[in-house]
Amino acid sequence: MHIDHTILEKLEKLSHLQVAESKKTEIIKQLSEIVNYIENLNELDTDHLDASFSTLEGGTPMRDDIVATSPKVGKNILSHAPRHEDGFFVVPAIIE
Amino acid sequence: MFETVIGLEVHVQLNTETKIFCSCPTSFAAEQNSNTCPTCLALPGALPVLNLEAVKKAMNFGYAVKAEVNKRSIFNRKSYFYPDSPMAYQISQFDIPIVGKGALTIDFDDGSSKEIGITRAHLEADAGKNIHDGNISKVDLNRSGTPLLEIVSNPDMRSADEAVRYLKKLHSIVRYLDISDANMQEGSFRCDVNISIRPKGQEEFGTRVEIKNINSFKFVSAAIAYEVQRQTEAYEDGVYKQEVYQETRLWDVAKNITKSMRSKEDSADYRYFPDPDLRPVLTTDDMMREAQHIPELPDEKVARYIDELGIKRYDALVITAYKELSCYFEETISHGVAPKIAVTWITSELLGRLNKAGLSIENSPVDSATLGDLLVRVSDDTISGKGAKEALDYMFENKDRDIDVIIEKLDLVQMSDDGTILAIIDEILASNKDKVEEYRAGKEKLFGFFVGQTMKASRGSANPSKVNMLLKQRLS
Repeated sequence: MHIDHTILEKLEKLSHLQVAESKKTEIIKQLSEIVNYIENLNELDTDHLDASFSTLEGGTPMRDDIVATSPKVGKNILSHAPRHEDGFFVVPAIIE
Repeated sequence: MFETVIGLEVHVQLNTETKIFCSCPTSFAAEQNSNTCPTCLALPGALPVLNLEAVKKAMNFGYAVKAEVNKRSIFNRKSYFYPDSPMAYQISQFDIPIVGKGALTIDFDDGSSKEIGITRAHLEADAGKNIHDGNISKVDLNRSGTPLLEIVSNPDMRSADEAVRYLKKLHSIVRYLDISDANMQEGSFRCDVNISIRPKGQEEFGTRVEIKNINSFKFVSAAIAYEVQRQTEAYEDGVYKQEVYQETRLWDVAKNITKSMRSKEDSADYRYFPDPDLRPVLTTDDMMREAQHIPELPDEKVARYIDELGIKRYDALVITAYKELSCYFEETISHGVAPKIAVTWITSELLGRLNKAGLSIENSPVDSATLGDLLVRVSDDTISGKGAKEALDYMFENKDRDIDVIIEKLDLVQMSDDGTILAIIDEILASNKDKVEEYRAGKEKLFGFFVGQTMKASRGSANPSKVNMLLKQRLS
């Protein structure tokens, strides 16, 4: 993967970080080094393997659709919220 | 000339008893934040455990739209920051959804139909609700973790009409499968519209705008019409690039316009990655066997109604559009009423009265058994069609449902005895000798006069077809 100014711009946007103009060339160089280092992994032959993200075997356990409640727990959690009112969690106004 | 390109994303709330990743009830709670637990409140250390039933309902939908159901699918974290999602991510599916490519068919009034592709359907957890109140917002997390099936269509629709037909078909399939209440007003069937325009003949798509959370078929239609106009005008005025960009818009019910909500996130913005708390979803043979139990769906019902019951296609489409309506119809004919008669009475007489009273078929004051009884009395000539309408009106106003008692009470019994009717006819003909002569001399219009007089003399109780037949005999 080749890191250029366009990709850096996208990364800035995604990370909400601004890279000073004077540092851009250096950052691009550093990012390229990191990516190239990861490229080493491509030397491994993975053609016969399925993509996986876990070393665990098998699927996720599933539970039956049966209700279990302990209303006190929810109330207790609510009471520890920084701010609550009439059973609601209260947060600063969200402007949509 | 422009062509409109529409794709739809529908969020269907699955009607499980419990949430998708915890055992909290999904039912309505009187008190806010009472249907919550450490998992759906995202306390550190709480782990999600997948609801088997939610997976089966999703698979059931997959088989119903003849889709590929993936034996192995993956849950991902979709990160976004908003108070209605305390985890700061939504558990959803990304690369490998539970349901892959499928299709459904939409029908047009002229008898034609069109196949609309379904790209995918994936399981995810719903967010909570925010109530905005001055300089604070209140958060209720009762809905947090409710199972959703997001059904994504291909961009195969070309008009608001096609989009609404797709939605209605999808809505009815989901209701027939009984995997969701699919109540649009209550938000258990929510629709996002992706819409773009392109000059006719152009291969590539225009810039797509998403209109979020539209909660009625009528608004879907209106929002599409507005957006097509907005985009077309921008194109014609040469400002398409400036005014039409990838963004999320909202339908403003009060102003009948769409308005900008936020620029559309790139999927990279969501930092999707497999949820380490959940291993892959592996479906077992047992689950597949169960999920493949599909009830008779609207398309099959329409075909059966036409082929076996001799009903017109248009009527079959009307009756099957709602599960409750087709149930009502099937129960009515099980009482021995001819299907064609049942269709006419249900679609015109019953639905007409229900509409007027602001009721729906589920809470019809006249149930299918009672309507069946009533129509049997019409078929065996006990009462006339007119009499049955009177009885129907009566039942919309009163509580008693014994048809025979009502017929007697309203004096609806039809005179079908030949001798009695002939006696009246003979009397009429005797006192109108001049008209009988005119009739016989060729003034055939007078036949109606004789029918009218006979009916009047019987005080409306004579069986009209009998009157016709007997009069013809006497006058020939």
